[in-house]
Amino acid sequence: MKLAAYYLERLKGNKTAIIGLAFIIFLVLTALIGPFFTVSPTQVNFSEKNLPPIGFSSEQSEYSAKVGGLVMTNMHGTWKHPLGTDGMGRDLLSQLISGARVSLLVGLLATGLAIVIGAIIGVSSAYFGGIADSILMRFTDIMITFPFLLLLILIVYMFGSSLALIILSIGLTGWTGTARLVRSETLSLRTRDFVIASKALGASDLRIIFYHLLPNTISSIIVLATLSIPGAILAEAALSFIGLGDPQVASWGNILNAGQNDLQAAWWIAVEPGIMLFFTVISFNFLGEGLRDAFDPKGDYN
Amino acid sequence: MAKIIEIENLRKYYPVTRGFLSKKRGDVKAVDGVSFFIQEGETLGLAGESGCGKSTLGRTILKLEEPDSGNILWRGRDITKSRKNQLKEFRKDCQIIFQDPKSSLDPRMTVGNSIEEALIIHDIGAREERTRMVGELLLKVGLTLDYMPRYPHELSGGQQQRIGIARALAVNPGLIVADEPVSALDVSVQAQILNLLMELKTQLKLSYLFIAHNLWVIRYISDRVAIMYLGKIVELADKDELFENPLHPYTVALLSSLPGSRNRKVLRGEVPSPMNPPDGCRFHTRCEKKLDRCVSIEPEMKEVGKGHFVMCHLY
Repeated sequence: MKLAAYYLERLKGNKTAIIGLAFIIFLVLTALIGPFFTVSPTQVNFSEKNLPPIGFSSEQSEYSAKVGGLVMTNMHGTWKHPLGTDGMGRDLLSQLISGARVSLLVGLLATGLAIVIGAIIGVSSAYFGGIADSILMRFTDIMITFPFLLLLILIVYMFGSSLALIILSIGLTGWTGTARLVRSETLSLRTRDFVIASKALGASDLRIIFYHLLPNTISSIIVLATLSIPGAILAEAALSFIGLGDPQVASWGNILNAGQNDLQAAWWIAVEPGIMLFFTVISFNFLGEGLRDAFDPKGDYN
Repeated sequence: MAKIIEIENLRKYYPVTRGFLSKKRGDVKAVDGVSFFIQEGETLGLAGESGCGKSTLGRTILKLEEPDSGNILWRGRDITKSRKNQLKEFRKDCQIIFQDPKSSLDPRMTVGNSIEEALIIHDIGAREERTRMVGELLLKVGLTLDYMPRYPHELSGGQQQRIGIARALAVNPGLIVADEPVSALDVSVQAQILNLLMELKTQLKLSYLFIAHNLWVIRYISDRVAIMYLGKIVELADKDELFENPLHPYTVALLSSLPGSRNRKVLRGEVPSPMNPPDGCRFHTRCEKKLDRCVSIEPEMKEVGKGHFVMCHLY
């Protein structure tokens, strides 16, 4: 625990990392408690369709029964829908909050899965060496050569698109980087004297792996995980954007996909989830880089 | 007195491979036919220059490296071919301490946990009992209970080395392989650690295989001394006999390098590569007293006095 406090102290010296962390905390809180304060993201209201965000206005043609044809009306943003509405009058703020849930869920679960698989493959590859190492690493090489997005499209095309399946496929394809990193760290750790001392005491392989090798790679794993989360979030958004996402959930990619058709009439539908994606991804990157510097024994923050 | 460990003709080769398809280019003959024994309560010093195979020998007799040939007899039992699960008792009886005290402790474990791990692996004591035993071990190596929750990076080299010794002692071993345990420490701390090891030896009736390149240290701590050159033991004798009456030309040169000795013999040339050691006597490329047959015939180990063995054609 003392070590954790020490690293936190070092992280505090890095402004961009703290900004990233603050945004991530804000996003998590919003995703957790936001839905209790906003209207349902699926509530349709055609009389309020394509409302712009607060402070903006837009010209829209509307059918008027009185005139018997289309009239142009100037719409203003309202406080009822601070970030506007989409073509069916659904509130964008609550959609974005629901999208934040999806993105964070995908980012954390898929990365978690990838990290666990990668760490186990990497550590066993390096620790057992020999033929086990060759087989596992060639398998990793093969996984790396697969075009990732194409593979995801294939899986979703074959098995249908549910959020669970998307998380699973991102996790099952994204472990290669972790495997290589953990392998290289383990290769240098396993010849260190404290590992040899454990062997001399008769410790089992599992004990050495879980008590000595993995805990000593944990700082690299945390950094890599933080830097991988944006990749998983973007992968889900990309899938949703090309229409292969889970249609049941309002993810940022789904909103983007829906908004691109209305780009002329209501630009904000596509722009808002795009901004959210941008800030989320950059926050995780900032935090990841900050953690990397904090864990680096050579880095020094005054 | 009973022999705690005896090794016969032990060999450990490391294959050297290079190239795309890992073609084998030869072997580094780190330990190449070594025999000796250690009695209970005895310290055998093992000296020799860097790269001569001292540490590999120490690790191979502990079965941390698999020997390529030869036998290891532990208290009369042949454990050369024993598998991991059959070695539990051996692991409890034979321990190791290391040269670099910093790297010998897990940086993510507290000192207390590092020592306790030895007890956990061998199912010694219940939880509270183990804490008490860890405390006793800390006192035994000259530290206090305050050290238990500390991390290795908070300690000095000498303190870290004491923790390493406490961990080795936790399982109550009979033999400790001390792999250059003081060469990374300051001179004043070296003396403390050496004295600690000597005290523990009489207190707990330990045997040591004490590996070092510092001959003063070897002379101070050992009962018998073995001199190693290029993977072979070239001379082995009681400490005083070896230091007063060295026979092998390599030993003579080694001892003459000690400060204060007269007619210093400087060895010419480099140590030959252990991948391709010279034919005949391994030392002939640098030997002053080389005979014709030294080039072609490898000398046998001969007992020239009581307990004084030497591998040289001169005797």
